[in-house]
Amino acid sequence: MQTDLTKNVSMDENRRAWVFPLVFIIVIVAAFVIFNAVAGGKFLTLLNIKNIISHAVYPIFIAWGFCFLFACGYTDMSIGGVIVLGSFAACALGNQIGVGGVVIGGMLVGFVLMFVNFLIFTYTKIPSWIAGISLALIYEAIAFALKTGKNTSSVVTSALNSDYRILGQLPWSLVILAVGLVLVYLLYNRTNIGYNIRSIGGNKKVSQAMGIDVNKTLLAVGVICGLLIGLACVMQESYAGQTSVKTGLTSINMIFQPLAIYLLAEILQKHINIIIGVPICSVILYSVFNMLTIMKVPSGTLQEAFLGAFIIIFALIGQHSVKGVVK
Amino acid sequence: MSENILEIRGLNKYFGPTHANVDVDFTLKRGEVHGLIGENGSGKSTLLSQIAGLYGSDSGEMKVNGQPYKPHSPLDAYDHKIAMVMQELGVVGSLPAGINVFLGRMNRFSKAGILNKKALYKEVADILEKWDLSAPPLNRNTDGMSIESRKMIELARALSVDPEILLLDEVTQSLSLNNRERLYKLIEKFKSMGRSIIVITHDIEEMIEITDNVTVLRDGAVVGTVISSETTPDEIRNMMVGREVEGGYYRDDYAPDFSDKVELEVRNLTVAGEIENVSFDVHEGEILGFCGLSDSGIHTVGQAVYGLTDKKLTSGTVHLMHNDTYVNNATTALRNNVGYVPKDRDNEALMIAANIRDNFGLPSVHVIRNKGTGFIHPGKVKKLSNDMVDKLSVKTTGIYQTMDSLSGGNKQKVNLGRWLAKDIKLLILDCPTRGVDVGVKAYIYSIMKEAKKDNIAMILISDELTEVLGMSDRIIVMKDGKVSGEMDRSEDLTEQKVIGVMI
Amino acid sequence: MMQKRKVKAADIIPFAAFIILLIFFAAASKGKMLSAYNLKLLIEESIQTIVVGCGVLFVVAQGSIDLTVGVNLALSGVIGMHVATMTGVGWLAIPVSIICGTLVGLLNGFLVAKCKVPSFTLSIAMLIGVRGIVNFIQTKIGIEYVPDDLRFITTAGFRFTLFAIILVAFCYIFEFTRIGRYSQAIGENETTTRFIGIPVTKYKMLAFVISGFLAGVGAIFSMGSVGGTSMQMGVFLEMRTAMAVFFGGILVTGGSSAKFYKVILGSLSITVITTGLSLIGLSDSQYSESIEGILLLIILFVTIVASRTGGRKKIVEKTPHTKEAGAQS
Repeated sequence: MQTDLTKNVSMDENRRAWVFPLVFIIVIVAAFVIFNAVAGGKFLTLLNIKNIISHAVYPIFIAWGFCFLFACGYTDMSIGGVIVLGSFAACALGNQIGVGGVVIGGMLVGFVLMFVNFLIFTYTKIPSWIAGISLALIYEAIAFALKTGKNTSSVVTSALNSDYRILGQLPWSLVILAVGLVLVYLLYNRTNIGYNIRSIGGNKKVSQAMGIDVNKTLLAVGVICGLLIGLACVMQESYAGQTSVKTGLTSINMIFQPLAIYLLAEILQKHINIIIGVPICSVILYSVFNMLTIMKVPSGTLQEAFLGAFIIIFALIGQHSVKGVVK
Repeated sequence: MSENILEIRGLNKYFGPTHANVDVDFTLKRGEVHGLIGENGSGKSTLLSQIAGLYGSDSGEMKVNGQPYKPHSPLDAYDHKIAMVMQELGVVGSLPAGINVFLGRMNRFSKAGILNKKALYKEVADILEKWDLSAPPLNRNTDGMSIESRKMIELARALSVDPEILLLDEVTQSLSLNNRERLYKLIEKFKSMGRSIIVITHDIEEMIEITDNVTVLRDGAVVGTVISSETTPDEIRNMMVGREVEGGYYRDDYAPDFSDKVELEVRNLTVAGEIENVSFDVHEGEILGFCGLSDSGIHTVGQAVYGLTDKKLTSGTVHLMHNDTYVNNATTALRNNVGYVPKDRDNEALMIAANIRDNFGLPSVHVIRNKGTGFIHPGKVKKLSNDMVDKLSVKTTGIYQTMDSLSGGNKQKVNLGRWLAKDIKLLILDCPTRGVDVGVKAYIYSIMKEAKKDNIAMILISDELTEVLGMSDRIIVMKDGKVSGEMDRSEDLTEQKVIGVMI
Repeated sequence: MMQKRKVKAADIIPFAAFIILLIFFAAASKGKMLSAYNLKLLIEESIQTIVVGCGVLFVVAQGSIDLTVGVNLALSGVIGMHVATMTGVGWLAIPVSIICGTLVGLLNGFLVAKCKVPSFTLSIAMLIGVRGIVNFIQTKIGIEYVPDDLRFITTAGFRFTLFAIILVAFCYIFEFTRIGRYSQAIGENETTTRFIGIPVTKYKMLAFVISGFLAGVGAIFSMGSVGGTSMQMGVFLEMRTAMAVFFGGILVTGGSSAKFYKVILGSLSITVITTGLSLIGLSDSQYSESIEGILLLIILFVTIVASRTGGRKKIVEKTPHTKEAGAQS
């Protein structure tokens, strides 16, 4: 053990910290360019890039939500259901009073439901992801009832007026994303509450003994996740204009892609801060989907197969030198 | 300012039906290093925890600087300049080392809610430098670090408060010799600054060496306080146990005594980056001791002999003579009458949340099972555990009690006993008495003596020199991963001689 | 020093939950629930969850999670049935399904145990990927029906016999052989298990292989009950199974909380809720689903409160994901 190397080590690492992301991004861009050439220039057209980016935005907020959820040890399978209901609200209120309605409706319902989830996780101590499946059943059933209900059906399933969908379109979606990135990054990496969250996720007992108020911190996570998921509702409804629902836990499907984004970002975590990694991975993910579509790989079947393989390969690379216990 | 910085009168603490502290009176002077000693469960850690604000007290009062003191949380204690390094609490593994030091108290590094990490790390580095402690990389997560580095982080955390009273609960047991020396210097410096320290350690010799006064606790109550320079280890031992400790402690013979038959032949054992060309023999009925400083690789030797080190990095041969087998992996070792007691009892040795039966049975499952059908008779496992509980007199309500509710000494009995339940030819012991009290320590030594009589070959790896000297027939001293000396047991082999070869 | 094992509240709750549910729905359905027909239906409906759950049990005991069983079942069934249809040899569907399931399990095991891909990550990837492959195959070949010489798999006699064999065999393997003991030990403390000298990697792979094998067997039950393959094969079976396993009182951390009977009780309880709700006329999915969800939450809550007062303090919030995140970073 060395006494005096501390500063050198940390500086050395800071310098190295920039190398990997840089190389990584160059490799990705190079891959895009090469693919573009192969695809006869169909990939890197302005329209196509716009397409990819505008699609990539709303899952980013969900994936950020996962960052905080997982950081404190929760897995919430009901987020898909929350998003369906939040999007319904955004649509119903949006068509009544405009963009403000979209924001209020989505944020409110998304926030309240996420917060309810958190209260259930924190105070009932039911393992979160089992509770999450139960909650998903409940939310789906409510959504389904709304969709099939005589009075509610037309309100929640009609398309959101395209005038009120600007938040989900470029350039506004990018503006919101940029602001979100800065705020979420600071929250996760540079604030007490961010570290407190990560601390109780790491070791609850030690955190408590160090004077961190565990319940207060968990509620803070609830608030943060609520805001992020609420925003995701707003963005998804504004992007898609319409949300469909089926029963039988199908809403869990909705979170697979954000989950894949989170998992990719987590694998890169050693080299790229996870909050920054999320948007990067989202763009990569949807680019890959886009490439597959250009290559005429059918979506809903083989594209998913590629996505699965993609995650596993990433995980293989990321876990390459991992020692110790992995469950 | 009064001479007494801390005064405790009539302190009581209950945990359910357990009366953990009984009317404790305690006084700590300014500039005093005060030792607390007692067997496991005597209430010393509980006492420190109350001073540090981890537990409230049920009755009695504490005064700091003559002012009433009733801490509600560790942070409250910090405000009174009191900080504690706990025995088994640790750090948050998923956070950087530097953050761990100020976790929960990072406000002063924040501006407008945004944390200045650089300033924080600098402050931590300054603290470590000020007290001359070895520093692990501060921006690295702690879960990849050694116990020793993590202890340093905990020490830095306590010192960051700039405490007037520092409470150290079993800190030395996780440190190797060179870092212990550093800690002793820290204690001296503290003293010279007129600050006070309360130390808990199981190592009585160490205790007498570094403290001014020692208070002995038994069953939650104070037995008495003695002046360190005027007492002897035996006096303290007797006070702790409440009677004369019989039958000696270490071995009372002073000559090597073992069979000529070699049981284990190790040749050119190398683990890249850790140990290099280590060769030795262990004979039947021999205790071979290993000692060395923290980077000497003595613990790696134990792991490598049991086949636990990374295959790609390991070379050389480990030859078991009794059935002419070469150990390439731990499974071979397990199946060929070798036992291994790892250093980190709670993380490497025991299934802490499982019951006693499962812990006793695990290494024997493959022996108990019916070779044809694979059937493991539950009754046989139960019998094995019950027999061992009786034989080792493990203090328990029964074999279905979970391990985490046992005391350290009883945990260690299970840890050792599960090997003794088998037909063992070679036993590797890595710090077998770490964190256990005198009574259990003496008991473990007696088990070792018995095993020796049964012709079991033993490798004793330890950070406690007195133990290695007291128990081994031969001692191998290691330095920087290589064997630097080999000595036979004799009356005039002293610690100084061994240390001379170590450094 | 002999001592009777103290029965912990946490061990009784799965029984209590099952019996209370059964009595409740028996009363609510005016006894219909307990008719021979409905009891048979109850078991019929639970078979898939229980069979697949027996395999997942090994993985969960080790503290990992296997959410691939649903898609694995679908893939095995679709391939098995296609081989049978193509070759005209009906019985081939059985070995092919089982081999296919086992191979997927082997792949899972290899990736988790050897390559150290966290099981939760792997599960999600497989859930997405394999479902895509299954859908792809099914869009190409369509739905296939059980050929005549394979019709025996739809008979109650065959199904119950096979079910009984599976139950006995895997109860034995889990409760009375090394595989079960070591799996629990790995869940309790993997490092300890390795330090004792137990080949942890081998047993981790084996658990996934067993899980895959039983997913293949599950495919036979699935095709037997429907009479062929379907687009809905194994959809969300992994979630149902996971719920059944944890509902039965097994902790996410596995270890000695993993018990064979808990899988069966958990599966039966969940089926009692779904069939019970339809018996009392709430089969309309919009109501029954949310009632199912609420009931599940309530019972889980009771289980946890009871087990805490029962002295088992080990119920710590720990998702499979945190565990792995803690270990790798």
